[in-house]
Amino acid sequence: MNQILASYGNLINLVLLDGILAYAVWLALSANMFSFATGGFMAIGAYVGVVLTMRLGVPFPLAVVAAAASAAGVALALGGTLLRLRGDYFALATLAFTEVVRVIALNWESVTGGALGIVGIARSTETWHLAAGLGAVIYFAWALRRSHIGRAIAAIRADELPTAAMGVDIFRYRLALFVTSGAVTGLAGALAGHMNYFIGPNDFGLLRTIDAISYSILGGIGVLAGPGLGALVLTALPELLRFSSQLREILVGALLLGAVLFLPRGLAALRLPAPSARRALAVEKGLP
Amino acid sequence: MVTLLQQIVNGLSAGATYAVFAIGFTLVFGVLNVLNMAQGAIFMWGAFLGLASVIHLHLPLPLALLPAMLGSGALGVAAELAIFRPLRLRSAHRWMGLVASLALARILVAAAQEVFGTQVVRYPDSPALAHALMVGGVRVQVLQLAIAAIALLLMLGLAALLDRTRTGRAIRTVAFDPRVAQLVGISVDRATLATFFLSGALAGAAGVLLGALFNAVSPFMGENILLKGLTVLILGGLGNVPGAMAGGFLLGVIEVLSVGYVSSAFRDAIGFGLVFLILLVRPAGLFGRAEAARA
Repeated sequence: MNQILASYGNLINLVLLDGILAYAVWLALSANMFSFATGGFMAIGAYVGVVLTMRLGVPFPLAVVAAAASAAGVALALGGTLLRLRGDYFALATLAFTEVVRVIALNWESVTGGALGIVGIARSTETWHLAAGLGAVIYFAWALRRSHIGRAIAAIRADELPTAAMGVDIFRYRLALFVTSGAVTGLAGALAGHMNYFIGPNDFGLLRTIDAISYSILGGIGVLAGPGLGALVLTALPELLRFSSQLREILVGALLLGAVLFLPRGLAALRLPAPSARRALAVEKGLP
Repeated sequence: MVTLLQQIVNGLSAGATYAVFAIGFTLVFGVLNVLNMAQGAIFMWGAFLGLASVIHLHLPLPLALLPAMLGSGALGVAAELAIFRPLRLRSAHRWMGLVASLALARILVAAAQEVFGTQVVRYPDSPALAHALMVGGVRVQVLQLAIAAIALLLMLGLAALLDRTRTGRAIRTVAFDPRVAQLVGISVDRATLATFFLSGALAGAAGVLLGALFNAVSPFMGENILLKGLTVLILGGLGNVPGAMAGGFLLGVIEVLSVGYVSSAFRDAIGFGLVFLILLVRPAGLFGRAEAARA
């Protein structure tokens, strides 16, 4: 066991971290919010967390909580203004948000260290922190799906108009989910910030965002295990195969393309029987 | 005053290439209501194909556009056949198209690294193009003039094609409503393929032009232009072809002015800040009507 941890410790940490990000994306996707804000929230979480522990000497757990809270606060402001945009406009606005955060991180040198980033960060993040975080997020997602809130969200995803007609305040549910997703992403960012001695502005750009979305979509968002499975496959498989970085990219891209085209409900749907009536709601309108 | 003029000249020549790229981008959205996020990678392949034509076939820059546009047009067609058409037939959720085209972009970027290497490569020196004219104290390179002229020709050509030809009319009808197009006997599939070909070809042409203008071609040049293209798309209004043209020039000028008078560091932030502002105030774009806002 110790040997496995020693040789694959970094990879295990990475899979767990990506799992947390995948569920954060899932939270937003579950109410039809296609958001590119992951990178921005993650950067906010990472920089807030690292600045608190390094500059102000705040204890690590407190800094992680503060990082999640700051990301949630930004998500509240962002969601409050952007959620009245629909579809592609919302997606593009969140993409602009992630890029603005990256440019600020790149240029606010006194705080973020600019392009050189912040180095010499204590590696406070332990594997069990990540595992506990992932466990908590999965439990939250599981409980949410079973609650009346979860049913309202499923209804929003299936068809907004009748849902609104039935008295569900779509905006509030969406905002709540977006803020939760932001908080979880911020938490992941703070944990990621204390994993590698170093953070820089390009750690949390568009690529990271697209990766996080890919985990959710590849795994399948109709099933609870989907995002976790997607993160495991997309993070671990290329590492274990030890291809060149180009071949790895091609493999990841082809996997994702294949999943979108041939497995619309994701990898997690592979071993499932035909959709039950309860699940059929989510499958309607070609939802994954 | 002269500095200002100089910057506007520089901004317009870069903006011309942004406009060409964004028109291809917005064309697909206008016709099919989907965003092809692989457009940046197709742009990059166009730049490499143009460069290869200049180096290996010894073509002059304007002629090198042809193989580049054919190749990148074919990539656009491939994106339609491999991704967008199957997804449309399944009436998959719209974000599937976003994710699939982003995946295609990754494959194309990695493939370009395998084929062309990861280094930044340059166009061979050309004294004729590097020659600079002085117009009232403003320095204008022949290259800049050539690029602006080619870009304008491409845009006029596209406008004529959409306006005058059968294919163009078919494309516009499909953009209006695919069902109407089918009713009047237009092959929607063929019009869609033509749209993707044009869109890819314009991206490839923009790649050659921008690669020549900044004299740098690399496998990673697509991401930056994709973001600029999205900015222009929002400025002009999604699916609005004249809007994308105006938006491209506008972004080019805004960029150089923000470098000149604010700070080079915030060049990109100003573009994205604008996107934010416009989405909040005028989601249909600077030149759009409110009804054009699509969900």
